[in-house]
Amino acid sequence: MNQKARITNKIIRRALGFILTIFILSVGVFYIARLAPGDPLQSYYGDAVESMTTVELDAARVRLGLDGPIYLQYSKWISNALQGDFGLSLKYKTPALKVVSPLIGNTLILGGTAYILVFGLATLLALFCAMNEDTLMDRIICKVGTAAYYIPPFWLGVVLVLIFSINLQWLPSSGAYDIGKSGDILNRLRHMVLPLVVMILSHLWYYAYMIRNKLLDEIRKDYVLLAKSKGCHKGEIVLKHCFRNVAPTIVSIMAISIPHVLSGTYIAESVFNYPGIGALAVVSAKYHDYNLLMLVVLITGILVVSTSIIAQSINEVIDPRMKLREVPACRIIESSSS
Amino acid sequence: MSDNREQFVIVGANYRPHLPERKAPSFRHKLKGKPILSIAILSIIVLGCIFAEQVYNHDPTGFYLQNLSEAPNAQFYFGTDSLGRDIFSMIWYGGRASILIGLLSMAISTGIGVVYGCISGTAKARVDAVMMRVPELINSIPIILLVLLLTSVMGKQNILKISLVIGVTGWCALARIVRSEVRQIRSSEYVLAAHCMGGSFLHIMRRHLIPNFVSTIMFVVVSSISLSMSMESTLSFLGLGLPVDVISWGSMLSLANKALLSNTWWVIIIPGLFLIITLVCITNIAYFFRRETNKLESIL
Repeated sequence: MNQKARITNKIIRRALGFILTIFILSVGVFYIARLAPGDPLQSYYGDAVESMTTVELDAARVRLGLDGPIYLQYSKWISNALQGDFGLSLKYKTPALKVVSPLIGNTLILGGTAYILVFGLATLLALFCAMNEDTLMDRIICKVGTAAYYIPPFWLGVVLVLIFSINLQWLPSSGAYDIGKSGDILNRLRHMVLPLVVMILSHLWYYAYMIRNKLLDEIRKDYVLLAKSKGCHKGEIVLKHCFRNVAPTIVSIMAISIPHVLSGTYIAESVFNYPGIGALAVVSAKYHDYNLLMLVVLITGILVVSTSIIAQSINEVIDPRMKLREVPACRIIESSSS
Repeated sequence: MSDNREQFVIVGANYRPHLPERKAPSFRHKLKGKPILSIAILSIIVLGCIFAEQVYNHDPTGFYLQNLSEAPNAQFYFGTDSLGRDIFSMIWYGGRASILIGLLSMAISTGIGVVYGCISGTAKARVDAVMMRVPELINSIPIILLVLLLTSVMGKQNILKISLVIGVTGWCALARIVRSEVRQIRSSEYVLAAHCMGGSFLHIMRRHLIPNFVSTIMFVVVSSISLSMSMESTLSFLGLGLPVDVISWGSMLSLANKALLSNTWWVIIIPGLFLIITLVCITNIAYFFRRETNKLESIL
């Protein structure tokens, strides 16, 4: 098979896998949502349900797509969804897509910034720890980092608000921007500081530790001895040789970590009332607004699966060895974390 | 002759084989390297929760309406919250629910993960490939979102339901580790022999598979307790976990938002500190298990 055919083959296979994953995800989510004991009509119409006649109730069910057996409901829902109609949000009484779409950008800004900062800092920290292995500094960082990882992020957020917004009054405690200042970048940045700090503190060590362990494995290899005997400087060996070999692993870890970082984003959003899809998901779960919740889950799923495919492709470009052994990235994480 | 004989000197007459003095390892030596501090703190907290009736000095479910939001003082050691409940008493009483949820969801996720991993590990390659897709799929969406979806489906929460939700969503990593361990030992002679003698799957799993990987999964199992407790408190804080009248560390923290408005730090800090100290202690113990397994592996 020539090169071109192989690449097209691979792209087609990836695309099929992507569609299949999203399909299974949507079926699963739809069934879970429909199994719910609460009557969706109740949450849509409120107390008005009790005063409605059976005819009216049936009509309302048809209108909201709640009639018929569940697989018919699903096929109706998915065919509507493909045309961009995800049903009405039961709480906001508007199309679900309209509620979600202005918030996606906010979440992506917050999550993306946190993602870049977490991995940038984690790599730096890991390099520092690996170069000073088993020194006092390294041990202190390890201990503090492990403890910090187990602080629940929401609690950290609340404590930071208590210190910096309420008592010191340095930073705002909630929202993405002050009223009427949506274009002011400085104002937006000020609102992002606390959520970012929470997310970085609660994710940083987990990944820094993984990268540190990978680096330490790499440092024990033979070529390091060769480089050392040639008289290379310690920093040069670690940065030029070891780090390059670890880089593909870091990209794999980054691909796998997207759901984890997103979960952190969602929690941070709801602690700081940041208008994003995470805070929306919490609200819709509280009010049993399944149409909205399903949409959020689907968007998240698409985001995660597509980014992990991108990361896989990037990995193949920077590390040709990856093409030969098709190691799922999850196994790399396991071997480094356990 | 006799003087001659005196010249013979028996070499090494006083030779005794040198035996190093073997002392029974002292108590201190045995404790070395073990997370004593964590175990001590954890057992103080757990004992305090078990014997909460003897420890607390106020009724944890009672409302002291004259003493709303009072700072820590001699009567209320840790102060009172905005509903007038005594935090000192609630911590010991509510710890029961938190620890129970941690243990229950650990049991559920371990049960599912071990059985699933064993089935997948012993199955044929194709079945195994399909079965391993499931955890991958579940991991492709943030766990918090899945938990939100399930809790909103479940309706009103209680301890059992919330542990079920956390347990059902937390088994994926364990299943993967169990599977890869089972893959390595599934074609060894003793498993084959047990299979030929007609041993059922459950028998083989219990007698041959689990004893082999129990030390490997110990770290994941123990740290899943602290992850579940952390998840419970997160859910309660978001208003989707236990209701305020079921006391746990999480539901105490669900008043944190209200406490922010009135700037009553003790309502936020004290239950959180108890939670974090417990989590860190559990994690330290889990790390100890991991070091133990690593030691064993390097000898083999």
